[in-house]
Amino acid sequence: MKTIGVYSIKGGVGKTSSTVNLAYLAAAAGKRTLVWDLDPQGAASFYFRVKPKVKGGGRGLLRGRRRPDDAIKGTDFELLDLLPADFSYRNMDILLEAAKKRPTGQLKRLLKPLSTEYDLVLFDCPPSISLMSENIFRAADALLVPLIPSTLSARTLHQLLEFLRSEDGFGALKVLPFFSMVDTDRAMHSETIDRLSTEHPEILSARIPLAQDVERMGLHRMPLPAYAPANPASGAYRALWDEVANALRA
Amino acid sequence: MNLIAMDYLLPAYADSEQDMDAALMTIRAELRCEPEPAVAFRRRFLDSFEWSLYRADIVLEEITSNGGRELLWQDLTDDGTVLARQTLDTDPGLIADMAPGPVRERLAPLLGVRRLLPMVVLSGSRRTLRVLNDDDKTVARILLEQAHVESADDAPQVALPMRLRLAAVRGYAHETERAAHRLKTSLSLEPARVPLYLEALAAAGRRPGSYSSKLDYRLDPHQPAEAAARTILLGLLDTLQANIDGTRQNLDPEFLHDLRVATRRTRSALSQIKGVLPQAIVDDFKARFAWLQQATGPVRDLDVYLLDFPRLKAQLPPALRDDLDPLRDWLAAHYEAEQEALAEVLDGERFKTLLRDWRAFLEAPDRNGAKDAQSPIKAVANKRIRRMFKRVLEEGRAITDASPPEELHELRKSGKKLRYLMEFFQSLYPPEDIKGLIKQSKVLLDNLGGFQDLAVQAEHLQETAAAMQREDAAPLHTLLAMGALISHILDNQQRARGEFARIFAGFDSAQNAGVFERLFADEKPAVAAPVEAGAEAGA
Repeated sequence: MKTIGVYSIKGGVGKTSSTVNLAYLAAAAGKRTLVWDLDPQGAASFYFRVKPKVKGGGRGLLRGRRRPDDAIKGTDFELLDLLPADFSYRNMDILLEAAKKRPTGQLKRLLKPLSTEYDLVLFDCPPSISLMSENIFRAADALLVPLIPSTLSARTLHQLLEFLRSEDGFGALKVLPFFSMVDTDRAMHSETIDRLSTEHPEILSARIPLAQDVERMGLHRMPLPAYAPANPASGAYRALWDEVANALRA
Repeated sequence: MNLIAMDYLLPAYADSEQDMDAALMTIRAELRCEPEPAVAFRRRFLDSFEWSLYRADIVLEEITSNGGRELLWQDLTDDGTVLARQTLDTDPGLIADMAPGPVRERLAPLLGVRRLLPMVVLSGSRRTLRVLNDDDKTVARILLEQAHVESADDAPQVALPMRLRLAAVRGYAHETERAAHRLKTSLSLEPARVPLYLEALAAAGRRPGSYSSKLDYRLDPHQPAEAAARTILLGLLDTLQANIDGTRQNLDPEFLHDLRVATRRTRSALSQIKGVLPQAIVDDFKARFAWLQQATGPVRDLDVYLLDFPRLKAQLPPALRDDLDPLRDWLAAHYEAEQEALAEVLDGERFKTLLRDWRAFLEAPDRNGAKDAQSPIKAVANKRIRRMFKRVLEEGRAITDASPPEELHELRKSGKKLRYLMEFFQSLYPPEDIKGLIKQSKVLLDNLGGFQDLAVQAEHLQETAAAMQREDAAPLHTLLAMGALISHILDNQQRARGEFARIFAGFDSAQNAGVFERLFADEKPAVAAPVEAGAEAGA
């Protein structure tokens, strides 16, 4: 089983749509895929038409009163399941802090029993750097980081890389940034892309465009490639998935 | 991922387009659901010739629909739970030609070098209905399927009864149960007791697991030896014939291998079940099967080489490995001609006559056998195994560190005969005991085989090097790499030789001798006498 955290310190950068679309493409390619919606806002759950509710909440999961697989819901797509969000996840850091042993290793522990059941797990992560994000870094094989081509995004990427360098145990974690919500009509976007790509050769080459169709996912409540497979943005997600799948194999 | 799926039959509905529509109407009146467009499909159920997947309770299915092709890896015992799937763009056949993916990963250890073959092919149409909740979320799927078994020739197609599959979506068990309840009443559903795959095989007249190269005879200890020998030889002939087509088409190397093993066992049975079949017959067919063994040898040698090539290459230091590639190319280039020659043999009159004569002899009633023809088979088996065991011990004990390779080769031949005898007759003895002995003889044979095969391999490499040089196909660095390989092989051979004494001592143990004594001692005369009396009368 491979695990990917779709993560950004900043909000509104296209995390959830990337999670949902990549998960859909992975399942369509035959991988048994689970999306774990860790964001209390529950946007990924909403896209899959699943109620953002886990019986017993985050506390039930962490205390072992509820097993994650009891909370899993099948989506409308074969091989693609969802562990829904719960509003209690907003207090997750407090719950994690209360864990007696290894507060940063709880998510990894919860994931273990699912390892034979899934080939791929994608976390839709809440924005921030917190105890929760540290849990994600410890549990994940790779972090997929959406970047809007702006100065601010560049700064948050530096912050993230700096954080990972300063802490022990993240050496094996692959960081895979990619450009998201790209507007090629804006000179600033193109310039930033050129500059950042030179500074960070690890940035993937697929670029997700800023597109109305991506925004409409909320109306359709399903992954973009499911209802608009020929859309250029769907093509961009497919290119991204190919790169991510390659990086996971390496 | 473990989804529950329930299969039902619809006895109230016939296998027709109209009835499918009628069933759909009833479902839609009963449940809030969304139909998906009708899909025409072709489903090929795949397995190896020896049913390796079926034996592991796996169903491997290739589904073609909507222009896409997919492999599904399913659990036969668990309502066809899909455990893995993989899209395809070429015909699935050998593992080596298959793209990496979750199905290939699971398939590789079970399939080995065998080729996937279609065991039964269905075509038909499917309607899918998604059962929805108030959020328009899919909470269950209903699949209605009509299918018929495709037949190779112009034989009439066999239609299967219409099936309804209710597939749960994880986390919505309650909704699925409710849907099942409503459907059962409104459509008068009946649970399907047999998985679709097995139903289709039965409709096509195929028996799953019907081929195995393993020897598995059920002999009666009191049966006259001649009848038992015929049973064994007929079984071997069936195995041999079952593999002819696959060998001729070269579907995978195991067809030829099994054909050759059946041939070797036939020769061994002919010479080892002594005094049972008429000597003239034995002599005649021994010679004819020896010819077959020889005629099928060259392709097998190349198969072994090519299958083993990656391992051979890995034995060389990395810097020399690529130098070996011209050897592989040379072998591959000669393969076609050898395979053609083999196909000619299999299509030739000499081979056909051999099979015809042999079957005619084995199936003909009332023949005059040799002196032990009417003895109980158990007595003959005991005697033969005892003798052969004694011979193996004598030959093995005579071997010292200074003995020449020929003596080990002779011992190997005797060991093989012993093993075949025990395998032919295993049903006459307590299973645990005989299996233990067979296993032990395999350990000894593996050591001797390793030694012998390595010697043959080294010699063969030398001959190949000479042949390649004659044909100007051997660059100097390739010859040097082959030389390095030969040296490596001879080292390994020395190692096998070094282990012989220890392994033989394990075989030549007091405990083993005790088991042989107990298992293969002479029958008490009271049991064997009446039959033997009959044999004398007949002789």
